[in-house]
Amino acid sequence: MKIIITISIIILGFFYTQAQTEGEWIVPEEEAALLSPFEFTADDVKAGEELYLLNCKSCHGDPGKGNYIALQPPPGDITTDKIQHNSDGAIYHKLKTGRGPMPAFENVLTPNQKWQVIAYIRSFNDDYVQKVAVEIPETAFGGKIDVLVNYMKDENKLQASFIGHKDDETQPIVGAEVHAFAKRKFGKLTLDQVRKTDDKGLVAFNLPDDLPGDSSGYVQLSLGLVNMELYGEINKDKSLAFGVPTYLPPLNEERAMWNVRMKAPIWLLITYHGALLTVFGIIFYILLQLRNIYLEGKKNEED
Amino acid sequence: MSSKTENHYNSKIADKVANDVLKSVNIGWSFKIWFAVLVVALGVCVYSYSIQLREGLGVTGLRDYVSWGLYIATFVFFVAASLIGMLISGVLGLIGYDWIKPIGRIAEIIAVAFAAIAGLVIVSDMGRPDRLPYVFMYGRFQSPILWDVTVVTTYFILSGLLYYVTLIPDLAIAKDKLEGRPKLLRKAYEIMSIRWIHSNEQYRMLYRIIRILLILIIPTAFAIHTVTSWLFAVTPRPGWDSTIFGPYFLSGAFVAGAAAVVIAMFFFRNSYKLQDYLTKSHFDKMGKLLVLVSIVYLYFNINEFLVPGYKLKKFDLIHLEALFAGKHAITFWFTQIAGLILPIILLMFKPFRKPLPMTIISVFVLVGAFLKRYLIVVPTQEHPYLPVQHVPEIFHVYFPTWNEIAITSGSLILVIMIITLLSKLFPVIPIWEVAHDMEKKAEKQKIENE
Repeated sequence: MKIIITISIIILGFFYTQAQTEGEWIVPEEEAALLSPFEFTADDVKAGEELYLLNCKSCHGDPGKGNYIALQPPPGDITTDKIQHNSDGAIYHKLKTGRGPMPAFENVLTPNQKWQVIAYIRSFNDDYVQKVAVEIPETAFGGKIDVLVNYMKDENKLQASFIGHKDDETQPIVGAEVHAFAKRKFGKLTLDQVRKTDDKGLVAFNLPDDLPGDSSGYVQLSLGLVNMELYGEINKDKSLAFGVPTYLPPLNEERAMWNVRMKAPIWLLITYHGALLTVFGIIFYILLQLRNIYLEGKKNEED
Repeated sequence: MSSKTENHYNSKIADKVANDVLKSVNIGWSFKIWFAVLVVALGVCVYSYSIQLREGLGVTGLRDYVSWGLYIATFVFFVAASLIGMLISGVLGLIGYDWIKPIGRIAEIIAVAFAAIAGLVIVSDMGRPDRLPYVFMYGRFQSPILWDVTVVTTYFILSGLLYYVTLIPDLAIAKDKLEGRPKLLRKAYEIMSIRWIHSNEQYRMLYRIIRILLILIIPTAFAIHTVTSWLFAVTPRPGWDSTIFGPYFLSGAFVAGAAAVVIAMFFFRNSYKLQDYLTKSHFDKMGKLLVLVSIVYLYFNINEFLVPGYKLKKFDLIHLEALFAGKHAITFWFTQIAGLILPIILLMFKPFRKPLPMTIISVFVLVGAFLKRYLIVVPTQEHPYLPVQHVPEIFHVYFPTWNEIAITSGSLILVIMIITLLSKLFPVIPIWEVAHDMEKKAEKQKIENE
């Protein structure tokens, strides 16, 4: 009996230290208390599933199958307690910041998309009861906000105006935080810094002059108001030609060793066919010589 | 025409050589029994292959991780063994060593037989052999696999040609001396000897053809085994990622081929009663050749294992551990010690270069050479860079199934069949070359005596 207890303690101790070495992922309290601004619907779960397949599945695997890949710390299966015991806000924070091999999705997924992923994760938890953020700050703006974007080429600046419309009244959005992003291959690149609108609802961002754009120099921009609780999700996408025109040919465009047969390197084609022609040319010459031997014998016999 | 002056077969010496050598060109009972055994054994193997054809490669031990197993190891081994034709006829022949003349044809028979079946072994590794034409229809010029198909075919054609052209004068000599042999065989000799009348002009043309072939076959043979090594060496995997794989394979090929020639010499010498032509001196010299090529191979082995062993990169360490002390250790040390180091030491002493002891040593060398190919092909795939996970347990290890072993044996039986047929239907010793040499020696003796 004693032996069993001893062994159990050792095993437990082992698992305990295992858990310790992974290290706990600590989420700040106010972040963990964050709640989704909207109620999760079946549509949200569906949208979340698509986002999960695209962004998360490659590491976390198929939900419920435990086939996540071996990383340190292990990604874990989203249906297990390891992930489900987190509060909505904690998952939101972890998605946003990332850790170790997990990338930060802050600029990759919009806040709404992050909540949709969480809706999908929660769809595997039957005990889950959602709490929605019900408090809407008093200062919230209830109307429609128009965003106008203007590129000031001479100064290489981006100017945007935020004008609100409510009950036939028009007023600039004053003192609102605005962030600007450029779309890159993975996620979004923050441009300049978060800036506040002035009393005319105007805001200006300094643009870098060395940002690679597409072949004509176009860069996909996205501007938005930071504070969603106050203004809702206000974003404006625009394509502007302030980048450096960049043309990167696809890797399969030119002749290369890795390309298809029709795009084999010229030197290789010459070497291969040249060697083949030489050898088989000589073989043909030898066959001709054998014929000569035959003719020589025939001539002699006839003599 | 007066060019019909020098008759290489008209002397007494040539007559004796022809009679001695042609004695074995007949289809007797012992041959029929031996061949029947081979046919029955091959039947079993063909049945095994029919199962594989029906069920797919699932009947082999090959899975996702180890997808090249016994078949590819056999392929590499066959290609290796076939190279000896080039070394003996090509390199030694061009240098002007006359002692290789009686052995030359045996080496060519081995080259032709192994090269012919090597391609077939690849087909046995295909789950869908009906798609073989796709290699030619869609094969990429950038792929070493296409190069390999090309050079193996070319080498087979060149070896076959070299075998045939040196046979022409013998066919002409033999066609009149084959009384009591099947009519079909005599007719074949008649046609294949392409009206050879031993005229000086014909000899001049023949010598030129042979010289061209000997020169051409050297780079082709180098290409065939270098390209075979590139099938592995162009990947970044531990154990394959090596810049010396080409010469490493080549030198290993000469070891395997020389051993195969010694074994064949021993059998032909005894069962065809060719003691006068395959003399003890030939065995002695082949023994020295085997030591030479083995030492070169040992040198490459030391390079191949010492350099990565010194650096011990993470994945090389896993690979080397599996070979030196892990699951492949017994095979590995057998190939290195019994298949390489001991033969080198023993063959340095004259008594071991006598026919029987040397044949026994050669069997060890040949078995070692085969196992070495297995060790080159398989262990690397057992530890890929990415972790092996979420697969059935049997994917983790490779061991050939009985089906695979039977099909592999089938290809070896086919090789033996080709060697048997060629050596039974045609003289295994080049009559004209040997007679010519003996005549020259006799003349020299005569002058000295006077």
